[in-house]
Amino acid sequence: MQAMAKGYIRWTFVVFMIILVLLELFPLLWLFDFSLLKSGDFYGSQILKWPNPPKWKNYIDAYHNAHIPKLFMNSIIVSAVSIFAIIGCSVAMGYAVVRMEWRFRKVAFTLLMAGMIIPIYSTLLPTFSLFNEVGLLNSYAALILPYAAFQIPISMYIITAFLETIPRALEEAAVMDGASVPGLIFRIILPVLKPAIATIAVLAFLSCWNEFIMAVTYIDTDRLRTLPFAVVYFMGQYSSNYGAQFAVLAMISIPSIVMYLLFTDQINRGITAGAVKG
Amino acid sequence: MHKIMSDRKTVFLLMAPGMVLFAIMIVVPIVISFYYSLTNWDGVGEYSFVGFKNYADIFDSDSIFGLSLRNSLLLGLGLVLIQHPFAILIAMLVQYCGRWEKLLRVCIFIPSIISTFVTTKLWVSIFDTTFGLLNRVLTIIGKSDWSQDWLGSPGYAIGCVILVLMWQGFGYAFILYYAGIKGVPKDLQEAAMLDGASQIQFNFRIVLPLLTPVLRINMVLAVVSAFKQMETVYLLTNGGPANSTQFMSTYLYSKAFRESMYGYGNAISILLVAICLIVTVIMNRAMKREVGEY
Repeated sequence: MQAMAKGYIRWTFVVFMIILVLLELFPLLWLFDFSLLKSGDFYGSQILKWPNPPKWKNYIDAYHNAHIPKLFMNSIIVSAVSIFAIIGCSVAMGYAVVRMEWRFRKVAFTLLMAGMIIPIYSTLLPTFSLFNEVGLLNSYAALILPYAAFQIPISMYIITAFLETIPRALEEAAVMDGASVPGLIFRIILPVLKPAIATIAVLAFLSCWNEFIMAVTYIDTDRLRTLPFAVVYFMGQYSSNYGAQFAVLAMISIPSIVMYLLFTDQINRGITAGAVKG
Repeated sequence: MHKIMSDRKTVFLLMAPGMVLFAIMIVVPIVISFYYSLTNWDGVGEYSFVGFKNYADIFDSDSIFGLSLRNSLLLGLGLVLIQHPFAILIAMLVQYCGRWEKLLRVCIFIPSIISTFVTTKLWVSIFDTTFGLLNRVLTIIGKSDWSQDWLGSPGYAIGCVILVLMWQGFGYAFILYYAGIKGVPKDLQEAAMLDGASQIQFNFRIVLPLLTPVLRINMVLAVVSAFKQMETVYLLTNGGPANSTQFMSTYLYSKAFRESMYGYGNAISILLVAICLIVTVIMNRAMKREVGEY
């Protein structure tokens, strides 16, 4: 009798978990399913339709007509430069804040931590006029500068948290041997910081890759647009080709999903590290 | 060692690039924003100083600003009262999934890493009146008269926006609690089991109280994020219909770029920064007192 009750609980549990996963993943399944359908198949009563045959042409159409390669390149350039700037600045600042002794150390750290609370879109208007004034609108820099600046506080925080767990003995030994601070950072700190750097790099990638509002506000030439804009492009021109629109959406999300699957642990660590401080 | 570590030139070189970036992209814009918030600039022409008139107008007569605050509060409540308790429950349950644990974790988190742009467009299609998933499901279960123009009617739109935001942020909330639960020492569980506690008792009497610090931070983060919200709303409804889903950041955007009230928009920006800072400080204080009892 008791075994049976246990069996029921077990089954309820399994069913509950499956429903949960479906709720989380269903919209995505739907996305990939519909990205393979003919446009005519969209209006029906079924929720999911087996794509028969799968219309891979949607992806080919989307690839060519939505200028995916160019937008992809723009996204990669903006993300990559931002990530390098973020890593460079955060490691340097993290080191100065944790290891070095100077007067305004606490003040600088507090100021940067307050930066985490500032909403990224509160500076949308002033930054727009600032860029307009100095002629930076419609340039890669118009996206790279704010992306990097807003990602620095959290990244630096992750670096400082990690640095504090590393004993100073290695650095002390190196100083005895006559190393300078840049030498210490490049030869000792950077190798040890690798996991933390991977974490901030992946978090930075996701935030730059997915950002949309600044990308439409500061950029209005087609030449410089980033990936999320592909759909807007496309919806104007091919408003009835739903299949291809879904294919564009699918193509944008694939890099993020791959990044996540490759770096699951780093991402989880970064998110939880950031939350410890708030 | 000490001499090297307190060398001012080195400190300056290390701090300067990041600080400059931080200053020109965050501090300076906020100062500029404050400057324009004192003017009646329309974004292109001449302007004159009007003192704190924009702020006075916002507080005296702008019902939409009030609405945007209400929406943020509603979203904050939704996150704190629905999303987070649910996330805690799921984080507790996932521990019992054995070899499926990792897969479940990945599945639950995936919506959070996909571009807001993609997930939002997806939800727009789900709520679509003609080929949307939601109305289709309602037809299948025989409730087609419940079908709605979900994002087009002021009453339902804000509900839909909050639902999408709860769905989208669920993975984040989950991961935070999951990590917290993983941090509970294993021998506590063994001790509790030896004393005859059931799994339910163990989770609610021991794990939950231990999660309090995590809970505290997450509540602060959730409420602040409700005030910061922009992208999803912008793409789902853009504040409409009839301003019913306006949030502070979408509102400042439409004031500045659609109604050409640039000075006014900047006043909202400044209030947005101020509100986020104040909410963070107040919540941190309030939460601390509560935890002090343990």
